[in-house]
Amino acid sequence: MQPSRDIVLEALRDVIDPELGYNIVDLGLVYALKVADSIVHITMTMTTPGCPAQDYIMMAVCERGLRIPGVKDVDVTLVWEPRWSPVKMVPAARTYFDIPDDPHE
Amino acid sequence: MLGHHEHIGDLYECHLVTRLWIVRARGGKTLLTGGSMAPLTERLSRWTLITFACALANFLLAQALIVLGFTWPSAALTGGATLAAVHLVTIGWLTLLMLGALSQFVPVITSRALLDQRLSAAALVLIEVGLVGMVTGFVTRDMARAPCAWCLVVGGLSVCAGVVLALVNLATPLLRTRPLPLPGRFVRAGFLFLIVTMSLGLLFAFTLRASVSSHGPLLHLASGVGYHAIAGVGGWLTLTAMGVSYKLLSMFMLAPEERGVLGEVVLGLGITGFGLTVAAGLLDLVWHGSVMILAERAGWLLIGASISAYLADLVRLYRARKRRRIELHNRAAAGAFISLAAALVTAAILVISGRAARVAPPLVVLALLGWLGGLGLTQLYKVIPFLSWLTRFGKMIGRGWVPRVQDLVCEPCAALWFFLYFAGVWLTVVGAAIETPLPMRGGAALSTLATLGLSREYWRAWRGTYVRLPPAVSSHAPTIQREDLRHGHP
Repeated sequence: MQPSRDIVLEALRDVIDPELGYNIVDLGLVYALKVADSIVHITMTMTTPGCPAQDYIMMAVCERGLRIPGVKDVDVTLVWEPRWSPVKMVPAARTYFDIPDDPHE
Repeated sequence: MLGHHEHIGDLYECHLVTRLWIVRARGGKTLLTGGSMAPLTERLSRWTLITFACALANFLLAQALIVLGFTWPSAALTGGATLAAVHLVTIGWLTLLMLGALSQFVPVITSRALLDQRLSAAALVLIEVGLVGMVTGFVTRDMARAPCAWCLVVGGLSVCAGVVLALVNLATPLLRTRPLPLPGRFVRAGFLFLIVTMSLGLLFAFTLRASVSSHGPLLHLASGVGYHAIAGVGGWLTLTAMGVSYKLLSMFMLAPEERGVLGEVVLGLGITGFGLTVAAGLLDLVWHGSVMILAERAGWLLIGASISAYLADLVRLYRARKRRRIELHNRAAAGAFISLAAALVTAAILVISGRAARVAPPLVVLALLGWLGGLGLTQLYKVIPFLSWLTRFGKMIGRGWVPRVQDLVCEPCAALWFFLYFAGVWLTVVGAAIETPLPMRGGAALSTLATLGLSREYWRAWRGTYVRLPPAVSSHAPTIQREDLRHGHP
């Protein structure tokens, strides 16, 4: 039986952006997540284009996804549009970084 | 959290525009496929950290020469030991630092791999070997029989060969990228000035060799050396440092990367200003004339305008940052920017008093040790832990507990060293201004001590000395520390 999207998102909170030291889901780096036929399709971005850590993060997303019971395959697509900004963080993450609730884009 | 998940779904439907890279895992194997970027192993430069280590060693050697009193004002300004110390700083420390940083930075701004990793290693060896030759040539130059006059030429040629290799390696991805972002265009302009600096340096080396072998009087190098220095410290190092700082500061402070018109003004005025000053100044040595003097003055004015615009833009960048609590490397960088502003004022005084072409020691100390050296040391405090993290923990991410990059450093430990470094540099500037050895050597001793202290902090970051495993992990518990990962470490 394939896992729900919430279960996958919860698992992906194990993956951090090393520079910010916070998980990629609550940073708002995961733009889209779909589970179909036990395959997890993830569309994500990085905090800055060309980030040297990006391949490590994407590999980690893949490997963490594969460890979820019921997941057969994981597809991760990296996109640069729309560009990430702190406005995409969840409120708790913005509070952690002392970023105002309504930062301008 | 449900609302957040729904938001994710909306974005997928509406805004998926650019697909650059796909990671696909099947049957337990993870593969990188498609996209325009280089594979992981090619995008992380293997030679960056060793280049930084060599650069720091050269810097410490140069500082030791100043502390021990071998250089100006205890010796002549154009004396061998002074020139040896200057080239240890400009080539051994700053150029190596910049080339090492660019081997990591160029793939970031272009999303392309370097031409060949082996070129970075070859360039490092050639530059280091050449520098040994140059320093030997300078130090022995003042001796009665000049036992190693050829060292300067051979060493200079070796440095040039190394720089050419580095440029080929770095310029290839830059030239292939269209459109090139603003930081990349700063770097590209810096490369052009590096070629000019190198050519002038070789010319001086050959001239010096010829004058020594014919036992004739030394040519009036001091007048031309000033423009060699402006091309190197200004056109190459300062323009490149501006471009790199724009990217690094905005990236680590979550500030807007787009610099708009002001960024373009900084670049345009900088290229024109440094170019005009060097060209007019050199031509004036051959064809004296009021036009050349006027052009050189105009060049200085443009340089001043460029640096003023850059400093104003940095204030704008710091104010626009989203990350209110900034890390030590960005706080300490203020010391470098204050040094740049002080250098600007000093240069203005020199130009107004008609001494622009002379090599002015306080200006040189402010530019080399305060602005460029200070910026280098502060940014290394972020770059080295980041590269160390990628090397040591990159492949563990998502598999269990990993530290943050910040966990590799101890900011209170390094803050004191940064304070001492800039205090030492500014004391050295005072000593240079009043041409008195004691404050100059005392200031240099302070900054040398601070550089040693910071080198120790870099080493500790690389070794992971400050990393503290959470209790569950250190007792080999198999579970991942979810709360740590979710909210950052306390």
